[in-house]
Amino acid sequence: MRPVFDAKDLARYPFLQEAQAKIAGSQLENLETFLEGEVGRRIIERATDRLESAISLPPQALNDHFREFHARIPNALESLYAYGMARVIASCTGDRTVIERLIGYEAWRSAFYLSSEADEEKRTEVARQLGLEVSGEAVPVVRYVEMVAGLREPLWRLVNREVKGGFVRVHASELDVLLRERIRVVIRGRGLPGVPPEVCALLAPAVGHVSGVLQSQMLRDLGPIDESRYPPCMAALVAALAGGANLTHMGRFALTAFLHTIGLSTTQIVEVYQRSPDFDIEKTLYQVEHISGSSGTEYTPPSCATMETNGLCVNRAALCERVGSPLGYYRKKKGGPQQAGTAGRDPPSGSSG
Amino acid sequence: MRPSTAEFLHQRFLSYYAGAQIPAPDALSQREWGFLFFSSRDDPRMRRHIGFGTKDELVEYLRTMAPAHVFYSTAYYDDPAAPTMSAKGWAGADLIFDLDADHILKPPFPSYPAMLSRVRDETRKLIDLLVVELGFAEHELQVVFSGGRGYHIHVKALSVRQFTGQERRELINYVCGIGLDPALLLRPAAESSGGWHGRQLRALEEYLDWLESLGESEALAHLQSIPDLGRGMARQIWKRRRSLFEMTDASIRKVLRPLLSEGNDAWRSRIREAGVMADEPVTTDIKRLIRAPGSLHGGTGLRVTVLEPRELEAFDPLIEGVVFAEREIPVEVVRDCRVSLLDHDLQFEPGPTRVPEAVAVYLCSRGMAEVGGVAP
Repeated sequence: MRPVFDAKDLARYPFLQEAQAKIAGSQLENLETFLEGEVGRRIIERATDRLESAISLPPQALNDHFREFHARIPNALESLYAYGMARVIASCTGDRTVIERLIGYEAWRSAFYLSSEADEEKRTEVARQLGLEVSGEAVPVVRYVEMVAGLREPLWRLVNREVKGGFVRVHASELDVLLRERIRVVIRGRGLPGVPPEVCALLAPAVGHVSGVLQSQMLRDLGPIDESRYPPCMAALVAALAGGANLTHMGRFALTAFLHTIGLSTTQIVEVYQRSPDFDIEKTLYQVEHISGSSGTEYTPPSCATMETNGLCVNRAALCERVGSPLGYYRKKKGGPQQAGTAGRDPPSGSSG
Repeated sequence: MRPSTAEFLHQRFLSYYAGAQIPAPDALSQREWGFLFFSSRDDPRMRRHIGFGTKDELVEYLRTMAPAHVFYSTAYYDDPAAPTMSAKGWAGADLIFDLDADHILKPPFPSYPAMLSRVRDETRKLIDLLVVELGFAEHELQVVFSGGRGYHIHVKALSVRQFTGQERRELINYVCGIGLDPALLLRPAAESSGGWHGRQLRALEEYLDWLESLGESEALAHLQSIPDLGRGMARQIWKRRRSLFEMTDASIRKVLRPLLSEGNDAWRSRIREAGVMADEPVTTDIKRLIRAPGSLHGGTGLRVTVLEPRELEAFDPLIEGVVFAEREIPVEVVRDCRVSLLDHDLQFEPGPTRVPEAVAVYLCSRGMAEVGGVAP
């Protein structure tokens, strides 16, 4: 028999069918009145807090955050609605980073509760609804690949697993992490609610606030432009240019996208290319502007895997093992005075550091 | 290519498409198509962003245009004919593996038949791995002779259609053995002979045998040339080459990391051979165009041919991929070459000659001959 989930359970595992039904059934039809009422305002506030934490806390700080937060779930139903509201606000920002961070946050949050779930039946049912039966020690290859795509440690790579007949052997001790990643896949797969513009307009202050938090967090993450923090692959590309080598198309693309993302202006990027002897200002300007978004698509720098495929991953450093992209390296490789202390633990302030 | 040669090939392709049964890919109306045409100019432009609602439209296009090369998207789109990729609306993609001689063999390349046979071995290895280890059903695999230097495998399983590039990378890395962690060797496996655990173990045995065969001074020189592996460690490895696994886990870990790293060429090439040498970017690219089965490859004149996995063993691309006949055509060979096609095995030197049509199409497509000239 299926276990019965109470309001607290639904607040913990808001992706469950029962929780979804509850959110759908909550009468949010008279939205305007609801949002302006006291409860509505409180839910918006809680949803905004949730998004702020999602944006500003690094994953390794999340469990502490939940432990603290866990002590005070004052109203389970409101917490569940705040989950739904956070998704609505994220959808209104239309920003992929906000959406991804929220998905990650929710996955860690539910996994946190799941790992300490005392009721074995509930745990089993949650896993069942996630499409991940915990019995046995094997996960279908396709499921497994979906789950580990976001995990960086070598031990999760399919190539380092025992794979046979379409199944990947996993150890009981790995299930918590896999469940968390499965929650991420499930939430991501459902997508966000499409929110009509008039509803986003009602939420404009919250949406604006969240976008501001993201903006300042990104500035904090990247810090001032610092050539000494370039990952070895990008440093090599810059050195190759200076040494008179002709970069491949992919090399130019990777370097330009990287420099643009860490905040160099078009003029500054063109200056880097100027070091190359076959420098052609018009062509370079065109390429730089195209890659940095004048065509409407802003390209992000390639991942380490893509760099590797294209023979651009050179002079690997120890830090490379812990990041998934050259940009990740740049973010992690700080050490200036502004980085003292654990960045993520500070309460989100909304203004840039 | 002379205009007359381009015209000859165009005419031959027209005659093929006039009568050929072209299999349309499933979900035809969701595929983007791209074409290259015969031209005497050296500037081929692809005409792409083309969509066909029905098989009749596709066949009609091929019969009228007789393109030199025909490609369709491995991806499914809501609007495949939209002019930009972002407007097409990506809705999934087949999983593709590409096995190409360029990627598997190093120059100097052997003869074309030998090259194709080597790639076929690699294809067989891949099918085996996809079925036995990754668990795909044989009927989900479509093997395609590319008409050029290799084979493609299209995996039609619905379960992987939505896979992102990153997820496809997990699969191609598994297939190629990329990102192998040496520490895997230390983990007890339920069945140590299977999968990468076994492949890595066998590669290590072979590598250590090879090291032994070098003799002490050469082996030490090799070991010391590996990045991050100092003289002391080199000596230790040489001394312990027959008893590596008797060391404690901690010390063996210290040894294996640098020894079995990407920086050790002799190791890396063994791992490459133990895996399948597929072309990675083809698998990870979720918006790629691929040769359409049933079309002709404009660089050889051979037909892009679909096979069941079990038909691969007996398949001879230089017989079954040939669609032209024996009628004699005068050509002017431009360089020394050798051609094995159907039951012909012909050696040419520059100058005019007469050859069967199938051979003429092959020579002209590959740029080894121009059509015309006076036969002796």
